[in-house]
Amino acid sequence: MLKALFWIALAAALIALPHALSFSQQEILVFLTINVLLVASYRLLTLTGEWSLAHVVIMGVGAYASAFYTKEFGVFVPVSMLLGAVTAALVAMVLSYPLFRMKGFYFLIGSFAAGEIIRLLWKRFRDPFGGPKGLKGIEPMPDFSIGIYDFDFFEPVSYYYFAATVVAVCLWLMWRIERSPVGLTFHAVHWQDKLAQAAGVNVQAYRTLAFVIASGFAGLAGALMAHYIGTINPNSFDVEVMVFVLTWAIVGGTATFYGPILGCVVLTILNEIVLREMGFEQMRPLIYGAILILSILFLPNGLESLVERALKPFRRTPASGTPAGDAPPASPASDTP
Amino acid sequence: MSHKRILSALTRRGFLAAASTLIGSGLLPGIATRVHAADKVIRIGFLAPLTGPVAAWGKPGLDGCQIWAEGINAAGGITIDGESHTVEFVGYDNEYDPAKARTGATKLIREDEVKFIMMLGGDTWPGVQPVADRTGMLFSTLLPSDLSPETTTLIAPAEVHPIYNVTGVEWLAENKPDLKTAVMCAQDDALGLPSVATYLAAFEAAGIEMQSEPLLFDPATTDFAPVVTKLISGNPDIVCLDTCYSDYVHPICEQLFQQGYKGQIISCTADFYDQIIEKTSKEFMEGMIFQFPDFDDPALNAEGINFKDPNKFFEVYNERHPGEWGAVSWEYASIMDLWKAGAEKAGSVEPDAVLAAMKDGGTGLHAFGEAKWWGKDLFGIDNALVGNWPVVVIEDGKAVIKAMKSIPDWYDKHGELLKKHMTAYNQMWNQRG
Repeated sequence: MLKALFWIALAAALIALPHALSFSQQEILVFLTINVLLVASYRLLTLTGEWSLAHVVIMGVGAYASAFYTKEFGVFVPVSMLLGAVTAALVAMVLSYPLFRMKGFYFLIGSFAAGEIIRLLWKRFRDPFGGPKGLKGIEPMPDFSIGIYDFDFFEPVSYYYFAATVVAVCLWLMWRIERSPVGLTFHAVHWQDKLAQAAGVNVQAYRTLAFVIASGFAGLAGALMAHYIGTINPNSFDVEVMVFVLTWAIVGGTATFYGPILGCVVLTILNEIVLREMGFEQMRPLIYGAILILSILFLPNGLESLVERALKPFRRTPASGTPAGDAPPASPASDTP
Repeated sequence: MSHKRILSALTRRGFLAAASTLIGSGLLPGIATRVHAADKVIRIGFLAPLTGPVAAWGKPGLDGCQIWAEGINAAGGITIDGESHTVEFVGYDNEYDPAKARTGATKLIREDEVKFIMMLGGDTWPGVQPVADRTGMLFSTLLPSDLSPETTTLIAPAEVHPIYNVTGVEWLAENKPDLKTAVMCAQDDALGLPSVATYLAAFEAAGIEMQSEPLLFDPATTDFAPVVTKLISGNPDIVCLDTCYSDYVHPICEQLFQQGYKGQIISCTADFYDQIIEKTSKEFMEGMIFQFPDFDDPALNAEGINFKDPNKFFEVYNERHPGEWGAVSWEYASIMDLWKAGAEKAGSVEPDAVLAAMKDGGTGLHAFGEAKWWGKDLFGIDNALVGNWPVVVIEDGKAVIKAMKSIPDWYDKHGELLKKHMTAYNQMWNQRG
């Protein structure tokens, strides 16, 4: 009952939220919502213990693919977004063959190289990728009305409602996946890979599966982004953006489902709203870097550890030996390659 | 223990107390400005990269605008319909990202209620274009390759990049006719490619032969030794650096110096050239041609130059921001001169009225002389202000204006060549996007 009330209150708050914000904050909210999907999908990938540097490029694959399908074949935008996600998942599957011959640090570097190859292909082939300038004039979501509300997708509030619905469904799917036997096997592959292998688990297949599913969701995030801004270029998906995703995951923590989301929300508000409003426009990279260092020094288990600590008194002690959090503990210090 | 103490100090009350102290002491300029803003204030948006790798073409422009605003406000401000208004710039760092540019444009228009927005353009313009279409806001860009028949509220009134580069090549051919072969390198991006096409047209018009195809390098390149080795392997008379960012111009010049190149260098920009001289030598840099003057140049006091008191502007700028003078330090301020004249002529600050007044008669007072609204051929719309442009040469370690050359005159003679090369590089307006 309490749980149901919590979810109803959260949904009501998320519906009301854009109306309490300024126009520019509504814009930021749209991008934040999309980034929540990106970072949550990244955590799904890290469940098997591998940290990729190609995740943002895979997001770009979804963006480019979705833009391409609408531009070239006139595919209906929502369908094209789904096709973009499928394309990103397929590209990830192809990449998984060489990449999952590696592990740990080698996988990390390999994924970076694979991502850069894809980015260079976008730059090199002006047709169909638009070269360094990328694609512009990407078809927006078509406006429609549901009687009580007119969706004008130029307006950030409308797009936020659309994106938030898509992201909520995706988060629910990811949650279900993590809680399913497949998800538990992902954890086993991470923490006890030899034991899992001995028990007959095809470790490489499960790593590939996590990579492909996570990439599909990242691709959908890219498609959501592309059809909102109306333009994409290779620089929108470069390693700098990937560093932001890593920062959100590390500062938020990856032991729980909500950790990276928390990191993404807190750091985006800090970087895009608080520091700008305080007049520190040009000092933001410096302050942002300092916060990252401080959080690693003083919060090695991420922001989620603060929440866990705050919620501890309200939690029942687990009956068996399962950990108190949502997943086995994974500090960035031990988890990051 | 220490981190617990820090966290306990970060209470809401503590934060508010600290913030109010900072506001009171004027340390938070963004907030403080709003508090003291007068009623009759015209706000102008500045939407450009203020941080990151492209900040060199944003931040110096905002610094220049602040100096411009101080001068205008001290002289009574802008007179609209007989009433005096002060000018205030509201900056937004778009980090050269189209998504952030969209957010910035929304903020500037719908929250700060600016009447005009200046941008660097390039990658960021497509993100802003839907906002411009919806709101009718007047925008300016430094990169006319953003222009197209659809961009009716976008103007390029300061520089017609990269078309003015033809003036440097024309001057070179007239003054050093013995130089007959050239090579070129450029970053493979939205700034590099139209510039490559322009230089190719200019070299062809000047009878200078290209030794090889332009060498396009990835914008992520950091090691320029192999680029330069390949570039000068045929011992060319001229090395053209196209419109490379200063982060490329500096290491390329260093490499040219280290690899013993002794020929002519020509480039669109040579921002912070004093630093290049420090890394190479005065003798090596002697004679380098580029397109952006220092504003202490006496040639800018000549009749017909419309930028007000350029020498004083340069002096104040260097006092406040020593060593930061660059290609864009004066450009956004010169756009404001045009906008101010347009607004005063229109008796209104509304975007459509100002645009109509600015373009009235088909000519405008560009910083370097009277110019005409032009561009239908190349951009599909006459929203670029084009006239004379200076050719700058480094002499004895200092940038000196050697000539003011007419871009329309060159285009009248060689326009077809330019269109040919622009088409080859897919840079005509109808080939883009």
